[in-house]
Amino acid sequence: MKKIHTFENVIINLKQFWQQQGCLIFEPYNSEVGAGTFNPATFLKILGTEPWNVCYLEISKRPRDGRYAKNPLRFQQFYQCQVIMKPSPVDIQQVYLESLEYLGVKLKEHEVRFVEDDWESPTLGAWGLGWEVWLDGLEITQFTYFQQAGGIDLDVIPVEITYGLERITMILQDLSSVFDIKWNNSLTWGDVYRQNEIEYSKYNFEVAPPELLSSLFKSYEQEAERLFEQGLVYPGYDCAIKCSHIFNLLEARGTISISERAKYIGRVRALANKAAALYLRGKSG
Amino acid sequence: MAKRAFQMIDFLLEIGFEEFPPHFLRPAAEDLTEKIEKLLKEKKIFHRSVRTIYTPRRMGTLVLGLSRRQKAQIIEIQGPPKKFAYDGKGKPTDKLLGFMKANNLKPSDIISKRTKRGDYVCGKKEITGASTEDILHDNIPEIIKSLEFPKTMVWNQERVRFPRPIRWIVALLDKKPLRFEFAGVQANRYSWPNQHFSFKPIRLEKPREYINFLRHGGVIVDPNERKKTILTRIKQMADKAKGKPLYDDDMIEEINCTTEYPEVILGEFNPEYMRLPEEVLMTVLQAHGNVIWINDTNKYIYVFSAKKKALQNVQAGYSRVMDSRLQDALFYYQNDMKRGLQDMLNQTKGMMWLQDLGTLHDKVVRLKDFAGQFKSLTDVDIEVVKRAALLCKADLLSEMVREKEFTSLQGIMGGYYAKASGESEPVVKAISEHYLPRFVGDRLPKSKPGGFLSVTDKLDNVVGAFLSGNRPSGSYDPFAVRRNGYAVINILDFHAFEVSLLNAIDKMLGLYNRKFDTKVLFEFFNERLMRYLQDKGYRYDEINAVLATWQGNVADARKRCEALKGFRDRPEFVKLVIGQKRVRNILKDLEKVATVDKGLIREPAEKALLKMGKQVGSEIEALISQKSYPEVLILLLKMRPVIDKFFDDVLVMCEDKQLRENRMALVSIINRLFLQFADFSQIVIEGEKAQR
Repeated sequence: MKKIHTFENVIINLKQFWQQQGCLIFEPYNSEVGAGTFNPATFLKILGTEPWNVCYLEISKRPRDGRYAKNPLRFQQFYQCQVIMKPSPVDIQQVYLESLEYLGVKLKEHEVRFVEDDWESPTLGAWGLGWEVWLDGLEITQFTYFQQAGGIDLDVIPVEITYGLERITMILQDLSSVFDIKWNNSLTWGDVYRQNEIEYSKYNFEVAPPELLSSLFKSYEQEAERLFEQGLVYPGYDCAIKCSHIFNLLEARGTISISERAKYIGRVRALANKAAALYLRGKSG
Repeated sequence: MAKRAFQMIDFLLEIGFEEFPPHFLRPAAEDLTEKIEKLLKEKKIFHRSVRTIYTPRRMGTLVLGLSRRQKAQIIEIQGPPKKFAYDGKGKPTDKLLGFMKANNLKPSDIISKRTKRGDYVCGKKEITGASTEDILHDNIPEIIKSLEFPKTMVWNQERVRFPRPIRWIVALLDKKPLRFEFAGVQANRYSWPNQHFSFKPIRLEKPREYINFLRHGGVIVDPNERKKTILTRIKQMADKAKGKPLYDDDMIEEINCTTEYPEVILGEFNPEYMRLPEEVLMTVLQAHGNVIWINDTNKYIYVFSAKKKALQNVQAGYSRVMDSRLQDALFYYQNDMKRGLQDMLNQTKGMMWLQDLGTLHDKVVRLKDFAGQFKSLTDVDIEVVKRAALLCKADLLSEMVREKEFTSLQGIMGGYYAKASGESEPVVKAISEHYLPRFVGDRLPKSKPGGFLSVTDKLDNVVGAFLSGNRPSGSYDPFAVRRNGYAVINILDFHAFEVSLLNAIDKMLGLYNRKFDTKVLFEFFNERLMRYLQDKGYRYDEINAVLATWQGNVADARKRCEALKGFRDRPEFVKLVIGQKRVRNILKDLEKVATVDKGLIREPAEKALLKMGKQVGSEIEALISQKSYPEVLILLLKMRPVIDKFFDDVLVMCEDKQLRENRMALVSIINRLFLQFADFSQIVIEGEKAQR
């Protein structure tokens, strides 16, 4: 009988694999983030020189990518498995490939391609060099050696590996739609999330209130500044994360122009840069 | 010992890394080989052949038939003058014996040599060469370090910069690894296979095993062999599909730089997607690297780099991905078609263009009004341009173009939507071409209305950026203003529109109804024009000469530069320039030009010049209006003997004020003739200091 790789097993197996590699098993952030990179367990912990190895699930919110549950591969929300290893081990690429085998992807029967992709997050003032990893043509992972975060050159280079869990599971279960993947032996992803996708697509594109969002952005921005002034890095950075999500919502609503967009990004980046600088200062002082 | 030195050995250098950016790979690998070859040549180390190696995960050089040592060298050491080296009886003096002893020379090593300063004795000595091993060991790390790349990174505490992390180095000379470290990696004899085949290293006893051992590990290391394999496989598949694969050299090279062991699949997508415009199909297919479309079919070839066993999964995977992407595209396309271009146009009213500069709709109305001011142009249908201008940005509101992966189809989609809503063919063409050129070296709009609309749009982009405080400085140029400005000039020249750029800038500014210093924009475009003409191969002094009297027509400026370039090497041209420089000096302080009083013309040389000036003047005017610039230059050159004679025989700066002013007036008439073409005094002639 063919073994079914359920969605929940993929998550458990990945955590187990990285635990064996010495990673701390962490949990998602408690507020909306666009990617696992925003979690302080990545953005702040990759600064400075101390070793930091961590693996956690992150629920990545991408309001613009919602498709009212009509596209088999695109949603306003994805489960990511985020791995940070700092410093990056010399055999990290092979370890990553072994993690795929651990999940059940036999490398002799698939093509894993590392496609050049220089990653950049303008809102975090962060960038790095690396690849998108394609499994039989489908992007399943972003693999990046960070060079800079919060506008600061990194002293020790971490590697960030971000798995797209729904897609990997879809390939393992040999399906063409994420809605059909088995979460466990009785429920599919669609059973759990279809209605959620439809409602959030409607909210993100049609219902979200632009005026309220703009004013919330401003309030969180001011609050972040106030908290930074008092040296409170984590609470201040939390406000920056909230600004970033609000900006993503505004963008999905389609009410900001190209030049306004650049300004919003600049404002979030300014907060992120402050958080990074303050975090490093606190460590050295 | 001596015999061993002639035995040939081989050398392998392989730098292994994580997947390299494909565009950096080949130049770097070729550079590496060249540098190693140069080293061997400089150090006089014989070698039979050198091969460049690269795959996405390695680059290197395989040298076959090396000598173990540098070639022995015979050097000559100069000794004392011959007359002090031997006594009267021909016996060596103490001086010579001392020289021999100091340099460890035998009597048979001594020869005499004739020099400019007399005869000397010399000692001949053979120097054995250094070992190849030492030379390679000492130089290879430096060579690796000297490789240059457009973009690099650091990955460990060594902080060496390279495009991707270096993970292993094989440096094998015959059976012995060279012991050196680079970027924290110790060179040794272990290479690594294709990861789809195995995770175990490949031990190499000697360089000659390399190619075959790696082949067993799923790596064709020789790029030429790999390329041949790729082309053969593509052809086989295309024959099977009975179609023509669409590819060019760049695509094949990219495939070659992203595969270690090329295998192919023939993929198919649902024929229903053939309804999509060709550009959309191509964009979807090519967004996935290494995909080659079989023209006019629903089939494509994908070149992958894994085990043959993966074929089925790769095929299924690709058909899943392609169908999902094409489904997305068709969904957008059909929605857009249903909605129509007019609806999108209406929506441009709600879309900001640039801060404080109004909406996208304001912009297209401005483009239309701008074009409307050029109705006198005979070679372009301005009504077409106006219609296309109004519609050209509507597709930015289409679902298709708003998608990140299809943004590159802006304009092209607009063309399709315009056609569907019944616009005429020239309007459709102008819309779809008006973003061209999209990057440096891209093709230009072919149709005249397309060209004119592109110029209009880009001129507006430049003016808008300046007005909103986004003029470029240093590396700051967020709206690509420099590229837009350059394209304006490029198209104006290409289509030779009868438009003055300076006048066009004024008109565009007028449409904004804002106060702005026109000079700033003139200077910007002047600088772009200089760059353009330099790129076309004209020297800066030729350009200066033409632009000094320029009226604003770009194509005309280039034609004049071309004529100057063709004439500047003629000896009489140099004399002409010298003459013009003299004229410039004479007229330098002249404030007001008087008219020539015929009564004051006395000397025959003066009379001749006046007569010639009148006669040539009308001819030149006619030739300039026909833009027959080489003929203008021939005419001007013909005047030279008369001008020379004038300056030889007549003193312009004479004591008599009346006479002097009359002669200066005559000189300035002649000068004006020249200036109608260019300011020749700007030409730098040999021996003169360059001035910018």
